[in-house]
Amino acid sequence: MTHSFRRRSVMAGTAGLASTAAAFLKGGTADAALPKGTDVEPRGSNGMFERLPSLDLESSEQFLTTLRTFVNREFSRSANRSAAKTIAAKGKDPLADYTHAEAIELLKDDPMVAMRTAMWQRLQMHSWQNLRREFHNNYDAYMSEMDAADNIGPGKLELNANFDYPEHVKHEIHMQPGGYVGDPFAGHLYYYLTMNFQEGRDFQDERHIARAAAVPLPADGKVKRVLELGCGTGRMTMALKNRFPDAEVWGVEVGAPLIRYGHMRAVDRGIDVNFRHGLAEDTKFPDGHFDIVTSYILHHEAPAEISRQIFKEAYRVLRPGGLYFPIDLMTGSSRKRTASATARYSEWIQYRWNHEAFWIEYFDMNMPKEMSAAGFEMHDDAPPGYPNDKANIVGIKPA
Amino acid sequence: MAETAKGKRQEYTTDFIEADIGKVSFLGNLHIDNIMTALIAMGAEIWTDRRRIRILESLLAKKGVNRDMVEQYVPTAEEEAAWKTEREVLVDRMFGQFARQTDEFDVTSAFKKK
Repeated sequence: MTHSFRRRSVMAGTAGLASTAAAFLKGGTADAALPKGTDVEPRGSNGMFERLPSLDLESSEQFLTTLRTFVNREFSRSANRSAAKTIAAKGKDPLADYTHAEAIELLKDDPMVAMRTAMWQRLQMHSWQNLRREFHNNYDAYMSEMDAADNIGPGKLELNANFDYPEHVKHEIHMQPGGYVGDPFAGHLYYYLTMNFQEGRDFQDERHIARAAAVPLPADGKVKRVLELGCGTGRMTMALKNRFPDAEVWGVEVGAPLIRYGHMRAVDRGIDVNFRHGLAEDTKFPDGHFDIVTSYILHHEAPAEISRQIFKEAYRVLRPGGLYFPIDLMTGSSRKRTASATARYSEWIQYRWNHEAFWIEYFDMNMPKEMSAAGFEMHDDAPPGYPNDKANIVGIKPA
Repeated sequence: MAETAKGKRQEYTTDFIEADIGKVSFLGNLHIDNIMTALIAMGAEIWTDRRRIRILESLLAKKGVNRDMVEQYVPTAEEEAAWKTEREVLVDRMFGQFARQTDEFDVTSAFKKK
């Protein structure tokens, strides 16, 4: 098959990760750029990871991470066995297809399933509350640190104090207090709690570096400008700069506290990336401006209608021959959504009780079809972006 | 934190749609709720023990081992690996019982073999 993009060798990409990460770390200038007296780093950094400000908080997070791993694995296996028995006891086939309403009716009274939900929910809330307490109890010090970094380079930070926020960005997704737009320390909270989500496997941004390494190249190999939509705290944005050191790299994010944190982190490490406070569906960049547009776990947190607008926006800001590489849950071709009772129930729990407000409509959306409707030429055999996938979709803007 | 300083700062935030997670009961059983309450009490016991450790730290500081030395200590890779295993054992010891299937026997069950 002839491709209109360059597919990096997966093996070559993987083999290069260790040296890439090492070069990334070496290139950083930790705690060199923030003005003296503003850098709040009482316990120093370990490579790319700024240690939590107290031993107790760090130990608590370590414990919660280990507990989450237990809930996700051993406990979940047991809960799934219990669910299968419960469903069979009601005369139903556990592996048949069900609607969400049917799955809830079948499993709502299973004590093991309920305990799994309760343990996960309580440990996650415990983590949010512990982290929030730390940053808000030391409000002035942490705000001063961000204030000091806002106008320092090497990269730019564009903020808009009068931003007009649409309702869909205001949810407390993952039960995060204040969500992405309502708490001034949303970046701090998200950065540290997602370490818990990653079960301790991303302290050095390893996963983000791997994702940036998977991004395919345009057919002509020219990469002058790269854009990440919905960039969060900018970890992928920084990894993209590492991958494309000569390119101008931008991240756009609606949550200003997330990019303030990400910018501060980039300043602290001397990494030249730029952040814009804006909507992924309305970036305000000129037509044809970028060679590559990417996003990481953005679309499952957006309404399907907004995702359709994002596809059009990505198409607009790409130059002919440029590509959009969206990394998200099951954008790879190796895993498929199932409609078993446990799968449907799990989707419900994510949607309702992890406050993933757009989870179900995201999975209901046919992403390749929608991207094609926006004008993209679609391929489903790009290198995998998400862990455990075998491939990722990519959209090319025809030359 | 000073409230006056907080009021003067530009936070770049807005109103948000609050999650109603604090109002949900997943377990729906008084006995299980009581277990949860017991866990909270256990947290208080842990804090009591931790306070004792703080006192020990203060005493150690007088002997030249201060709290800052403990805070700044960077574990070796071997220590991290060993402590990870310890944490896993701790999680299993504390929470492993919850993975037990609850419908194997009930209180009226006779001996399987006597």
